[in-house]
Amino acid sequence: MTEESPEEDHGSPGVAETNPGSPSSKTNNNNNNNKEQDRFLPIANVGRIMKKVLPGNGKISKDAKETVQECVSEFISFVTGEASDKCQREKRKTINGDDIIWAITTLGFEDYVAPLKVYLCKYRDTEGEKVNSPKQQQQRQQQQQIQQQNHHNYQFQEQDQNNNNMSCTSYISHHHPSPFLPVDHQPFPNIAFSPKSLQKQFPQQHDNNIDSIHW
Amino acid sequence: MDTNNQQPPPSAAGIPPPPPGTTISAAGGGASYHHLLQQQQQQLQLFWTYQRQEIEQVNDFKNHQLPLARIKKIMKADEDVRMISAEAPILFAKACELFILELTIRSWLHAEENKRRTLQKNDIAAAITRTDIFDFLVDIVPRDEIKDEAAVLGGGMVVAPTASGVPYYYPPMGQPAGPGGMMIGRPAMDPNGVYVQPPSQAWQSVWQTSTGTGDDVSYGSGGSSGQGNLDGQG
Repeated sequence: MTEESPEEDHGSPGVAETNPGSPSSKTNNNNNNNKEQDRFLPIANVGRIMKKVLPGNGKISKDAKETVQECVSEFISFVTGEASDKCQREKRKTINGDDIIWAITTLGFEDYVAPLKVYLCKYRDTEGEKVNSPKQQQQRQQQQQIQQQNHHNYQFQEQDQNNNNMSCTSYISHHHPSPFLPVDHQPFPNIAFSPKSLQKQFPQQHDNNIDSIHW
Repeated sequence: MDTNNQQPPPSAAGIPPPPPGTTISAAGGGASYHHLLQQQQQQLQLFWTYQRQEIEQVNDFKNHQLPLARIKKIMKADEDVRMISAEAPILFAKACELFILELTIRSWLHAEENKRRTLQKNDIAAAITRTDIFDFLVDIVPRDEIKDEAAVLGGGMVVAPTASGVPYYYPPMGQPAGPGGMMIGRPAMDPNGVYVQPPSQAWQSVWQTSTGTGDDVSYGSGGSSGQGNLDGQG
């Protein structure tokens, strides 16, 4: 009979992470508990997310949560490594959001790209409108002054929202550049009525004919 | 009683009915398995649509499901990583959430195949072995778990990778099981086991809630009202 002991979430994540199961294929020493905890995301957060897609009577064993913890850390390292390689090739030092999305696309997680692009676009739009701390309030005032100069109708919220929507839409929209076909203008055939062209076509042999045509 | 149980296939409202091949008793085992796979893929498609709509309504980037400092530390574990912009951990918080959700959905299918309501480590291992984009995780799970998966599947299945590049291990359209093609190596098939319960009812209820609020929803409600009846029959 297999062991089916469901773990309740009442245990504190700190205690749970203090004695994690031995990670497979990893020979790191478990002497430093702090480093061990930092290698994974908190098991409580992971378990909470997992429960979102399980039915009400579904349960999650502790070893399943711990396995997903390791998988998520591996996912972060996997994507970060790919993004870092791209930055090095392009002689850049900072990994940004676009690099993460590029790496996720390259590694086959196509389904993640559309939601993440929307998410990143929304974050960038709201980045300059932070309202929380007093320092940010001062920054906000300065930014407001600057934006008032740039946008005459900045005070209207609706228009601001419209701008956000337009920028989000333009960011996501796929551009289909139409290839421009150069028109090969072929020269017209020689005009038969021109005496000069006739002279070119019939050199010296038909001089008399040309003269007769003129008269 | 058995005759009545076998005849009506348990298809949830809004989900297209299974192909006629599933009613053939000869291919009952394979058909029910493929039926589950189809349900899973439809569920995943609904999941991605729901995720995109949910992100559309995100206004607060302060409350994250995962701590940003921890994500940054994991990123920094790579010595080649020098500087990280502020948006990278925030984007990773959402990416990791999607990753956990997809891995959990695919793992829950394996738990349901074994008539269990508790997600276990070998369910995670099964999802990893069945999904191409999770190949980088094969070292995370020990081989004992994979052996359990192989035993369940009767020696493993040979599936050609899809040409379209869709990150699913199985083809989108479930084919009827041929002789030795994709048969499930179960010793005995219970007549009731042919009709498996639709997976992840809770998520479908979430989807219904989202459907109610949204105006432009392309999918109908995926609620399975037959859950109680199926439990009664089983």
